[in-house]
Amino acid sequence: MVHKSEFTIEGLREYNRSSAVRWIMSHCFEHKLYFFVGLVGFALTYIAFSGARVMFGRGAELIIEGGDAGAVIAVSLAVLILSVSDGLFSLMGSMAMVILSTRVERDSRHELYASLLGKSQTFHDQQRVGDIMARATDDVRQLNFVIHPGIMFMFDMVLGFAVPMAYIAAINLELLLVPIIFVISYVIVVRRYMRRLEPVMMQQRMQYGTLSARLEETISGIEIVKVAAQEIEERKKFRRNAWKYRDFFVQQGKIEAAYLPLLMFGIAFGFFFLHCLHMHERGILGIGDIIAVAGLMQVLSFPVFISLFSISMIQLGIAGARRILELIEQRSDIDENLAGYSAAVEGAIEFDNVTFKFHGSTVLENVSFTVEPGQTVAIVGQTGSGKSTLTQLVSRTYDVDDGRVMIDGVDVRDWNLDRLRSQMGKIEQDIFLFSRSIAENISFGVENATQEQIENAAREAQAHDFILSFNEGYQSEIGERGVMLSGGQRQRLALARAFLRQPRILILDDSTSAIDSATEDEIQKAMRRAQEGRTTILITHRLSQIRWADRIIVLENGRAIANGSHEELLGSSEHYRRIFARYGAVETPVGQLAAGGGA
Amino acid sequence: MGFIMDGLDAEEYDRQYSDWQLVKRILGYFKPHLWKMIVVGLVVFLSSVMDLILPVVVSQALDQLQFTPETFDPIGTAIILGIAASAGWVANMVRQWLSAEAVGDVTLDLREDAFNAVTERDMSFYDQYPTGKVVSRVLSDTQAFSETVRLSINLMSRLLLVVLLIIYLFTVNVNMTWILMAIIPFIMYTALKFRTVARRTVTNSRRQLATVNAHIQESISGIGVAKAFRREQMIYDEFKTVNQESYEVEKINGFVFGSIFPILVTIAGLGVAAVVWFGINMAQQGVLTAGQWFLFIQGMGMIWFPLTSISSFWSQFQLGLAAGERVFALIDAEAVVKQKADDRVPAVKGEIEFVNMDFHYITGEPVLQGFSLKIPPGETLALVGHTGSGKSSIAKLINRFYEYQSGDLLIDGQDIRYFNLSSYRSQLGVVTQTPFLFDGTVMENIRYGKPEASDQEVTDIAYKVGRGDWLVSLQEGLDTQVGERGGNLSMGQRQLVAIARVLLQDPAIFILDEATASVDPLTETLIQEGLDTLMGNRTSIVIAHRLSTIRHADRIIVLDQGEIIESGTHDQLMLAGGHYANLYDSYFRHQSLEYIERMAG
Repeated sequence: MVHKSEFTIEGLREYNRSSAVRWIMSHCFEHKLYFFVGLVGFALTYIAFSGARVMFGRGAELIIEGGDAGAVIAVSLAVLILSVSDGLFSLMGSMAMVILSTRVERDSRHELYASLLGKSQTFHDQQRVGDIMARATDDVRQLNFVIHPGIMFMFDMVLGFAVPMAYIAAINLELLLVPIIFVISYVIVVRRYMRRLEPVMMQQRMQYGTLSARLEETISGIEIVKVAAQEIEERKKFRRNAWKYRDFFVQQGKIEAAYLPLLMFGIAFGFFFLHCLHMHERGILGIGDIIAVAGLMQVLSFPVFISLFSISMIQLGIAGARRILELIEQRSDIDENLAGYSAAVEGAIEFDNVTFKFHGSTVLENVSFTVEPGQTVAIVGQTGSGKSTLTQLVSRTYDVDDGRVMIDGVDVRDWNLDRLRSQMGKIEQDIFLFSRSIAENISFGVENATQEQIENAAREAQAHDFILSFNEGYQSEIGERGVMLSGGQRQRLALARAFLRQPRILILDDSTSAIDSATEDEIQKAMRRAQEGRTTILITHRLSQIRWADRIIVLENGRAIANGSHEELLGSSEHYRRIFARYGAVETPVGQLAAGGGA
Repeated sequence: MGFIMDGLDAEEYDRQYSDWQLVKRILGYFKPHLWKMIVVGLVVFLSSVMDLILPVVVSQALDQLQFTPETFDPIGTAIILGIAASAGWVANMVRQWLSAEAVGDVTLDLREDAFNAVTERDMSFYDQYPTGKVVSRVLSDTQAFSETVRLSINLMSRLLLVVLLIIYLFTVNVNMTWILMAIIPFIMYTALKFRTVARRTVTNSRRQLATVNAHIQESISGIGVAKAFRREQMIYDEFKTVNQESYEVEKINGFVFGSIFPILVTIAGLGVAAVVWFGINMAQQGVLTAGQWFLFIQGMGMIWFPLTSISSFWSQFQLGLAAGERVFALIDAEAVVKQKADDRVPAVKGEIEFVNMDFHYITGEPVLQGFSLKIPPGETLALVGHTGSGKSSIAKLINRFYEYQSGDLLIDGQDIRYFNLSSYRSQLGVVTQTPFLFDGTVMENIRYGKPEASDQEVTDIAYKVGRGDWLVSLQEGLDTQVGERGGNLSMGQRQLVAIARVLLQDPAIFILDEATASVDPLTETLIQEGLDTLMGNRTSIVIAHRLSTIRHADRIIVLDQGEIIESGTHDQLMLAGGHYANLYDSYFRHQSLEYIERMAG
């Protein structure tokens, strides 16, 4: 299946995405060599380790039956070689797994990142950044752990049973009786154990989260707690939460305490030893062989210990892989409409009886209005009244459920999406600037912009002066390592960035507030400059901007309850009147205002 | 790998406890679980003995098989093995069971003590220390502490096994035991050396990982901008570089961690080979039996792993102690605000008087000096002035969040230092700049200061704020979930909830630190209407940022460096054309209708 993508990278590998496990495996097989080296390394490790146990048997025979110095040296040397190769082979296996796991981490992060870049803006508007971040960081990390040590332990589990049992079989097939029964019952018991432990572990983790969230909440709100004299109540709440956590902690401890496979191994060893002795009585098994197989049987205890850790680790990793895949596989529902209408935008906007629902609830209902090219329309309404959604319909981030949104008389759904969006500028409420220099931020998107162009844009946005006030001027870095900007400054940089591109339609979501009047003057000037010569949709808290817009639309719960110019609304809208009444009610005499001075 | 320690910042209230003090205090927490700990000690011993019995029985059985096969009882031997394994398992179970309970309870007690201490700290404490760090002391440090205790018990049992084994082996053959023990220093040295290297690579890898994550964070947050401006390729190229760098560092880190066990296995393997060689030679001289020889080989397998853990134990243990120390420091931090008595406060009328007060946060940097101010009951007083003029300090002192150095603060003529703070503060209402809401419904939040209020009461109050118009925009009215810290509500809605909360509490004194952030004009109007209702007939102190608030105030006080430089109503002060008029021009002019009208397109 071909994915629609806004950005493609040449030569990017395709992985099998049909299931989480297959996806991980297809990543592993990209680096077959290391996977194979790892497997061989661990197999050799167990062969060497178990081989040393067999040599102990030979050594015991030398003690009991006697043997010359040469034989003693041979056995000792064999043990030495086997023990050292045990270590070296496991080093080899482990290194191979490290390379494999870090590569899979790198590649899957790469794959995820490339797919995120290719996704449409619609997709990104709908995803929470925090969620994407968690997947790109924590979940990718977990993938690494799945392989190292996860898969490594899986090797241990299989080889740690299989190799010693093969040796035992080589010495005497009959001796496999007890180990086989043990391994079968072990698999059954461990699965039950996991099923019991997992929910408790999960609840415990969740309770820790709750405890921590509640605690953080109390401390953040400590002023209110103190003023409302609610300390005792808060203590009780904390105690309840801490108790619950304690209970899960103890419960986990008790389940772990009763880890049955350890007991089973102990008893199996007893039976195994009895079996050996019985065979010795029958004259089939010498003392040397007993020592060899007793040592081999003990190798089986290693997987028994390790399984606790490895299985849950792999489960975690697969869950993580599933979440990453989900993200990669998600498609956006708005197509690019490459064959669509493509023209220079004049700037006429028309909402024709528009209704829009999001997750089943109506956000906008029967909204109609028109904006002439070059006009400014201000949208007024409380948070949640549908203001931002209205602007998102213009940029076609979402499609309407009913009615039409038209630009220059053409339904936005019939426009070539790229052509439409490239002629629109949007300044969001949360302005995003990159951790780069101010000049790079302003010229972002316009390759090879000259310093002069940048400065002109900054001047128009009333940003030039404050930029020069920084030590490094236009080269100042933005962000933690550099200058910290106020909301008003960020807004003006975003305006400058937009000026360089000259969009025909500007959507301005303005919620910045100026604490002092001088800054307010600057912002007002920049915003007015931005509205010149283009159609502007304005969401603003500034009464002056609303006051002077060509058209004002008052939204309440998704309905346009008023629509008209300032004068019209003063006559027709009770809400609108109420806003201005507060200012008109206490009119300051003009003579006193003079003391306040000019702008 | 808990033994890799991060740089933990020390706080001012941290103090040094001697190890003995710490241990004594920790033991104090275990006192209620004394019998459990005694049983734990016993079963630890028991399970070590049982673990030891297994190889010993096998070795003796082998000897009997070789020398006295006719008297040997195989079934008896197998039964002993089975019993030893079962007894060891049971002992182990009892140990884990009891220690989980004891550690769980001790952690719980410690957490509660820490939390109680947290609620008792002054506001100055919270101004100084960020929430995250306090949370981490109450939760993570106690967690680290309990991990250490668990680990200590676990390790103790392993160590005991090693000691018992070595003692037993000495009784079997002294020389062979020395040969076996020769390996110990090599293992300890390697394990310690490893920690030094690992600490370095882990730090590097964390740093690199943080870089990758920061890159992803930034580019995904700004993807809208990148797309709008068609700069995906540039961002992608940068990512590839950072991702590759991270891979290189991560690989080295993986090599270090992946190599430690193979290396230790190799060293232990050398030891085994030595035991085999010397053992066979001794056995051939008749000093050692085959069974005993096998016991020594198994002994090698039993000691090397515990030794590895022991070598990293000491630093673990110190980490645990340090975590404990941090928690105790939090519990023991001294209060700055000290009450001289605990008098219950009758209904307050609302008269506030500062008499000749000196106040500072930091010695040598006075905030208020000889400050006097009398606020009659029912007055609405607006405080204006530049940042650092002392506006908020006055409000904080009335809240009794800080201790002043000299002078008096009288409420209804009574010294504030003699009050029971809980009964005093319940007559204060506060709305902060960014109102804090608790996770829950709007109703629950309004009720926070008066838990006994009925639903009807809460509803009535909510409708008094801005004529109840704000409730229309809440999805489920008063039952709307506000989310963590009120995140589901807009800033303006949170302020409305906070206003309703105070209105329900009906305090004699109301303190408002006005928000500077802007709110949509409709909500703003509702807030202003709500505040009018609230300030109506009670003493109100407002740190003012809104023109409409100062215009409504009975009296405006202009503060500069802790001194009152002007006082009067808006109109009086504007006419005077002094400091207030300047402040007006700087901070309030743009909120006037005149400005709105003049800012024509």
